[in-house]
Amino acid sequence: MTIVSRMFAALACLLLAAAAWAQGSAPQDSAKAQQERAVTQPGNNQPVWSEVRSGQPNYTSLPGREMGVLVQPQARFLGQDKFTTAGEAWRQYRNGPIIFYGGWLVVLVALVIAALYFGRGPIKLHDKPTGRLIERFSGAERWAHWTMGISFVVLGITGLIILFGKYVLLPVIGYTLFAWLTALAKNLHNFVAPLFMVSLLVFIVMFVKDNLPKAHDFAWFARAWGMFMRGEHIPSGRFNAGEKAWFWGGVVVLCLIVSASGLVMLFPNFEQLRSTMQQMNVIHGIAGLLVIAASLGHIYMGTIGVEGSYQSMRTGYVDEIWAKEHHQYWYDEVKSGTAASGDTAKAGAAPQASH
Amino acid sequence: MARMKFLCDAERCIECNGCVTACKNENEVPWGVNRRRVVTINDGVVGAEKSISVACMHCSDAPCMAVCPVDCFYKTEDGVVLHDKDLCIGCGYCFYACPFGAPQFPQAGAFGLRGKMDKCTFCAGGPEADRTEAEFRKYGRNRLAEGKLPACAEMCSTKALLGGDGDVVADIYRERVARRGTRGAEAWGWGTAYGQPPKGKS
Repeated sequence: MTIVSRMFAALACLLLAAAAWAQGSAPQDSAKAQQERAVTQPGNNQPVWSEVRSGQPNYTSLPGREMGVLVQPQARFLGQDKFTTAGEAWRQYRNGPIIFYGGWLVVLVALVIAALYFGRGPIKLHDKPTGRLIERFSGAERWAHWTMGISFVVLGITGLIILFGKYVLLPVIGYTLFAWLTALAKNLHNFVAPLFMVSLLVFIVMFVKDNLPKAHDFAWFARAWGMFMRGEHIPSGRFNAGEKAWFWGGVVVLCLIVSASGLVMLFPNFEQLRSTMQQMNVIHGIAGLLVIAASLGHIYMGTIGVEGSYQSMRTGYVDEIWAKEHHQYWYDEVKSGTAASGDTAKAGAAPQASH
Repeated sequence: MARMKFLCDAERCIECNGCVTACKNENEVPWGVNRRRVVTINDGVVGAEKSISVACMHCSDAPCMAVCPVDCFYKTEDGVVLHDKDLCIGCGYCFYACPFGAPQFPQAGAFGLRGKMDKCTFCAGGPEADRTEAEFRKYGRNRLAEGKLPACAEMCSTKALLGGDGDVVADIYRERVARRGTRGAEAWGWGTAYGQPPKGKS
């Protein structure tokens, strides 16, 4: 309950901020100026047009949000050099830097990973597997991970279709099929999102303890190049510094930003203004593209990039030699019986990775 | 070809909402949607009150068109911006982008789920064959195909709202302005909707 109420509190804060932002100069001044102008220069309605251009709501008898706004207020997004009508500023930002840099970011990361795979090849075990297995992830941890992971992939792909499909897929598959696909993508995006957010919070709670930074994590970063290029193994705890960076930067920071900004757009029935939704869309796009690019690295390392890593999250068990080579400190803890997770006693009943 | 434009004369609009009603009736607009609305500035202040009727202005460089993820908008030979409801996915991006708040969404479910976007068509229907039942059901009357102008402007009791070929509308307005002895600063919306020269989608 606290999580839900916090989300709504955050949403309420955003709405209040947007509402405060939308308030501005007193309309009485404008009315007085217009009265005077009508006397001194009959027919000159400049004060009225200034009022219209300010984007302030005025009177209308029709119900609805922002119905009294004739033209959206002026706005400018980070990096834009001049103010323009908010909708136009959003359009230029979305169709400009977000699509251009975001698109190339995802493509370049994919190319770097492909180069690493075909150039360097996956990171393999140095020694032969012992056949003795250690439990690395409990059933609940794997459920949390895969619920989050699969919903993330669905959200990522559908999000990319909504942002880039017009330029990439539409020319290939045509209007009718593409509109059908994008409608499906939009509905999947909207209905999978709540599942993702819940599993995200569960996942963070479950994994935060073993992802707290340790002194030896800094040494890992210093030697990371050797790991990627020469397949060196660096001792680390249950999670190495790379995994921790992904946990904090990708899962905690970016995914929470994407979730919060997404919620504001997902439920447009809380009287939020267009300006709020434009800002959230920009934040959602930037954070979403960053986390998609970063997730490609995680997916690569968790599947074909590192021998034995996929089995650890698929089955929950790793070979002793895998634990020793990749997570020496964690292996030592498991062996000495001080680790919170890890159970060698179950090894006999554990599913074999080779099955 | 004509370049269709709307113009609202703030010196004449009396906020009767006849244009809104005419539009709703003529096009049988979905429940909860108003394709046109009248906004009053300095409401109730003697000597300063001005009313303006606004709907889709059929922009030269339309932001809705540029942001639509499924590219469902198109422009007719007359410069009217129309959209295809069979393609629309109800994402709301056109509503974010439009300066005038023209795109409206009928509610399609709980939590503000959007249906297919609905907006002013300049009484020009949609992509279906002209004056068919299917076209009327989705987009309303295709008055342009019948050789008529938009119902809102035709219905306007004070002729504040003008709709039609931009050159003709401009001539009428220029004539009015000359008789009033002012410079024409009261023309509304043209700077925003038609200000920039036409350019490709960006």
